[in-house]
Amino acid sequence: MSDGHSWHSDVALEEGRPAYLPRGLKRVPRGVDELATEHLVLNMGPQHPSTHGVLHVLIELDGEEVISAEASLGYLHRGIEKLAESRRYHQVATLLDRADYVSGLHTETAFALATEKLAGIEVPWRASWLRSLAMELNRYASHLVWLGTFGMDAGAMAPFLYIMRDREMILDILEEWCGSRMMFNYVRPGGVFADIPAGLDAKIRAWLRVADSYLDDNDALLGGNEIFQARIRGTGLIDAATALAFGMTGGCLRASGVDYDLRRDVPYCAYGELDFEVPLGVNGDNLDRYTVRVGEMRQCLRLIRQLVDGVPEGDFTAKVPKVFRPPAGESYAAVESPRGELGIHIVSDGGLTPYRMRLRSPAYFNLAIVDEALAGGLVADAIVTLGSLDIVLGEIDR
Amino acid sequence: MPAHQPADVLGIAGIACTAAEEGLGSVVRLDADRILDALAALQTVGYDFLVDLFGTDTGERIELTYHLRAFATHEDIYLKVLVDYDGEAASVWHVHPAALYPEREAAELLGMSFPGHPNPKRLLTTDDLPPMLRKAELIREAGEVQLPYE
Repeated sequence: MSDGHSWHSDVALEEGRPAYLPRGLKRVPRGVDELATEHLVLNMGPQHPSTHGVLHVLIELDGEEVISAEASLGYLHRGIEKLAESRRYHQVATLLDRADYVSGLHTETAFALATEKLAGIEVPWRASWLRSLAMELNRYASHLVWLGTFGMDAGAMAPFLYIMRDREMILDILEEWCGSRMMFNYVRPGGVFADIPAGLDAKIRAWLRVADSYLDDNDALLGGNEIFQARIRGTGLIDAATALAFGMTGGCLRASGVDYDLRRDVPYCAYGELDFEVPLGVNGDNLDRYTVRVGEMRQCLRLIRQLVDGVPEGDFTAKVPKVFRPPAGESYAAVESPRGELGIHIVSDGGLTPYRMRLRSPAYFNLAIVDEALAGGLVADAIVTLGSLDIVLGEIDR
Repeated sequence: MPAHQPADVLGIAGIACTAAEEGLGSVVRLDADRILDALAALQTVGYDFLVDLFGTDTGERIELTYHLRAFATHEDIYLKVLVDYDGEAASVWHVHPAALYPEREAAELLGMSFPGHPNPKRLLTTDDLPPMLRKAELIREAGEVQLPYE
């Protein structure tokens, strides 16, 4: 009977109950209050459209109110950390694209930075710059996916269609540049795989000329909608202390008012040279997470303008042998991915492959707060709150 | 700036440890049974953010790494403890709720346990799957997955 989930332990099968009824719908009276309704366990996912992948959330409900919530993970577990132990350092990026499949360049860069730290590889300045430019384009595409799906979670269908059109424009640019729309395999230890194609900067500039007005349109269409605002204001509250205790990073943490961004505080690649602001929230509700991310998108465009105008001359990669053995030791490098601090921890024993590779996934830690964030709210808000966390299951399950 | 060096803080709390500056950064090694006390002591001096927790199979034992950060100053330290196969280390979720998921993951993927964890279920893999991150668990080799007619 029990499938290991704590709430089911006191739920017994009712005689003659139709077999198609989910187990959670079996009502068991609790307490002595005759007027109190029984709790109901709702299985959300793993095929629910608003779980952004294959997430399974068990929600215990008292009427419309969420009493507790628990995420059940692992539907997308491919053992990336184990597989990396049998891949040479140049081959691991292929795996990491499939971890966070919405912004693969960030994961690749984190791995490249950790490898370079370990092996003492000096990266040409142009390569760092190209990495930053590609990452910011990827960040913008990732935030667009979030913006569209977040609107859909709240019932706004139309913005999604416009936003996906905008994202296509970036994916076209990235495809011409890296050879793939999502599985880039572009950032390698030592630099990047190929130089930026001639004429691509003109295409990026052409896109930048319309990007601002598209973002304004989408923001007005979605964020300017009074019904949408009413749905997201004051729901899914996460205070700063709780967010920090659960290891949250990225936009979710900044929405709670904690001023922390790796790009500014621990600069990597070209970010030390760039001028941008870090948008902050106040309350840590869904509205704050919305405004922080949309603010980040505006900063993103600002960064892309600086990056595309200032690509320095030089090599796009250092001379790194195809097969190399970094010295035994450990290294950790982190980047600010669209979801937060994405860290790669490599343990090397001096061999051809990493002895152990750990992927510190930001969405994994952001999701752990699901019980705190959903409990006390309404079930309809639970979906919006989950959407506001911007989870990518490929990165959570690895 | 945290007022004290991590090793001094642990020394005052009566926790035996060895500290070293390695390529990774500041690494502190201590006994597994004092990890909860150590994290609590370090939290009071500013190491208040658990960045990550993971295990590595060293070939003889499991090495757990607790990656801590003094959030105000961006200073990272790494606490390392050694645990036997199928051994245990106290759950640190009282001090750092961020450890709730990684502890469940380390338990199933490396074959160990974290007494005191409020929800010690498997997180990523199904029941009866052997702990895959142990070095003894081999990934299938190319010859095993070749199709018979090739």
